[in-house]
Amino acid sequence: MFGYYLDLAMRSLRRHKVLGALMMLAIALGIGASITMLTVLHNLSGNPLPQRSGVLFHPQVDPRPADLPGASEEPPDDLTYLDAVNLYHLGVAPRRAVMSANWLPVRLDAPDSPLAMRTDRATTADFFAMFDVPFVYGSAWSAQDDESHAQVVVLSKALNQKLFGGADSVGKTLVIATKTFRVVGVIGDWNPQPRFYDIDDGAFKDAEQMYLPFFTWLDLPQDYGYGPMRCWGNDPGAGEHNPKARQCTWAQFWVELDTSAQVDGYRSALKQYSEQQHQLGRFQRAPDVRLRGLLDWLDVRHVIPVTVRMQTWIAFGVLLICLVNTVGLMVAKFLRKAGEIGVRRALGASRRDVFAQCLVEAGVVGVAGGLLGLPLAWLGLWMVRQQPVSFAASAHLDLSMLGAALLLALLATLGAGIWPAWRASRVAPALQVKSL
Amino acid sequence: MRTFRQIRPILAALRSHKTAVTLLVLEIALTMAVLGNLVFIVYGTVQRSHVSTGVVESQIGLIQSIGVIGEDNPGTVAGNLAAMRAAPGVADAAYGFLPLWHADRSPLFLDASRQHPAVHAYEFMGSQGLNRTLGLHVVRGHDFADAELPDVMDVLMGKVAAPVPVLLTESLARRLYPGGSALGSILYDGTKSLRVIGIVDHLRGEITGSPSDDDSLVYEFRVGTQNLGGGYLVRSQPGRLPEALRAAAAAMQKANPGHVENKVLGMPELRANYFRSDLATGRMLVAIILILLVVTALGVGGLASFWVQQRRRQIGMRRALGATRRDILHYFQIENVLIVTGGVLLGALFAYALNLFLMHRFELAHLPAGYLLVGAMVLLALGQLAVLGPALRAASVPPVVATRSV
Repeated sequence: MFGYYLDLAMRSLRRHKVLGALMMLAIALGIGASITMLTVLHNLSGNPLPQRSGVLFHPQVDPRPADLPGASEEPPDDLTYLDAVNLYHLGVAPRRAVMSANWLPVRLDAPDSPLAMRTDRATTADFFAMFDVPFVYGSAWSAQDDESHAQVVVLSKALNQKLFGGADSVGKTLVIATKTFRVVGVIGDWNPQPRFYDIDDGAFKDAEQMYLPFFTWLDLPQDYGYGPMRCWGNDPGAGEHNPKARQCTWAQFWVELDTSAQVDGYRSALKQYSEQQHQLGRFQRAPDVRLRGLLDWLDVRHVIPVTVRMQTWIAFGVLLICLVNTVGLMVAKFLRKAGEIGVRRALGASRRDVFAQCLVEAGVVGVAGGLLGLPLAWLGLWMVRQQPVSFAASAHLDLSMLGAALLLALLATLGAGIWPAWRASRVAPALQVKSL
Repeated sequence: MRTFRQIRPILAALRSHKTAVTLLVLEIALTMAVLGNLVFIVYGTVQRSHVSTGVVESQIGLIQSIGVIGEDNPGTVAGNLAAMRAAPGVADAAYGFLPLWHADRSPLFLDASRQHPAVHAYEFMGSQGLNRTLGLHVVRGHDFADAELPDVMDVLMGKVAAPVPVLLTESLARRLYPGGSALGSILYDGTKSLRVIGIVDHLRGEITGSPSDDDSLVYEFRVGTQNLGGGYLVRSQPGRLPEALRAAAAAMQKANPGHVENKVLGMPELRANYFRSDLATGRMLVAIILILLVVTALGVGGLASFWVQQRRRQIGMRRALGATRRDILHYFQIENVLIVTGGVLLGALFAYALNLFLMHRFELAHLPAGYLLVGAMVLLALGQLAVLGPALRAASVPPVVATRSV
């Protein structure tokens, strides 16, 4: 029966070519717009590190003063210097990494080589293993290097390309902020998006150009900022030249916890630490801690840009309008066929048969519209990629979105076809046959 | 008159296509709602991108010169500024901040206890001559006199005891001292006390569209033999910004081998960067607006052409009974006006509701009624355009059709 209905649908569409084409075009435009935005949204809300996201956690404590007008309930995202050092030495998690980012003047270790500012992440040895960072040459530094404030550096592939032409640079030296650093490793392609481990400055920033041991970094003769610093009190610049200022948070901190027992253990250790700081009088607020998993953390922080969420709403608005348009055209079309339907009913077709026949026709329009919508979505994503915004580069159509586009088109048009088809199936056969 | 007498039969005819008409009205209403709000957003962005910061943007350039701690560097701030001023095409130079570049609001207080911030405002600080370099207009009070300026190191270390002379924008003065005169008043930021010596007309730290963008204060300090990295500003002679900036940057680099010149760009470029992503969003929205207009035109035109086909016989009869081609053309045009008018009226309600939702969720401003009026005009025109083809085809149906069977 389906084959026959398909045949009828094709005939009907051929007979009213213009109307059919208009319906398909409208569906295609609606699908193109909504799939474009869905793809952007899908890419932005993806899991940045699928293989590790289950075991990475983001601890927060609340060192703010009791009286802080307008303060949010949520403890600060980052840690103060003191809390960062204390939690780093807490020693409960199997792995942990404290970090921050800025930029530093870098030159090759050769006379008269030019200086350039390079972005860097200061962190501790576990960072690379915790976040599954691949190495092309060499390896991460050791916990011993952290301990001894060793002057070692890990380069990104891009910076290694720029400085050493992509050669194995392990053992070579660089002058960073006037100190000599030895290259111990070069990492491969690694740039999780959203950049979950540091979203203070926007969640879709690229990874830094090089990595230094955190405590070595703090020792450097530097005043180039200490990451996105937030200070409470009346002087927002309190920590500008002094990262150890007690009222400023700027250090990100992540732990790896492999079992739920470890998670519970770490949470109570975090509470205990807050309790202790409260008793010492350093934490004025009652102990308030957070320990969120990676995906939870991204969820709570609403990393999806508000313009993207707005445009997604708008795109679905467009789809809705396209569907209303389709419903209108379908009603007109099916009722135009009232005579034909009357004959079929008089020859014994049930209302269900007529209904099914009309739905098949709607489905054909939907699938055709969806197919036509795919190049439009591709065009839309190309437009998105031309945008100078940080998340644009990741907007690509993948197989799952292709499937979603066709499915959405089919379901939407079937939905839009139900009512016109139902109306068509109510056509009274006697009346129609008489008028022929 | 003849045309208007058709309205009654048109309404009667539409009544027998209730469903299709209702759906078309609904579609137009939805289009109008989305369209009105989108145009409002896009137009707001475009308007915002033309708001001036209050400085002579076409003549100002920035050299971000980062001092490397520990590197030997013979340059001094005063020496650097002198070298920049000596470069060809340069009218003036200063060390300090400029709008749209890392502008951040700081709390200001009216009393020394600093309990409750009175406002949050942009603080622009810089060396003597910052006001001239930015091209600020002092409209009341007096400009900075070099003798009253504090020393830069005292300011940076937070060691100034006497109130620092400041200029406020008119907007900030009104906000801090509504009804009173700001001149001579003392106020406080996080680390120092400030004395208002003058009022400038405009100085916007950022251009977000809020009136508080224009809440700024400016103060200057004396610079001399210090070696400071940061923002060095150039004001060029009119029309000579690119070459003046290049020459000044070269002079700076020569005087400061221990600095990294990380950024050298003119304010027009800075402004373009600032608005890039907003304007990009605007372009996306324009694309969506076009899609909407096309879809609506398709719906209107599609249904009209369908009806024309359906009514060929009736049209033929009317023609046979004496109706002119013009009558038939007008019939479909008036029918379209009636449907679109219905859609537009409903759409005005929808647009308002959608605007409330967007205001609530995305902090959009209130939609002015003018947009609804323009939206209605656009949709009426679009409807007429879409119906023209089918209506002309209807008008060309010959009377003889009436005598044939379908």
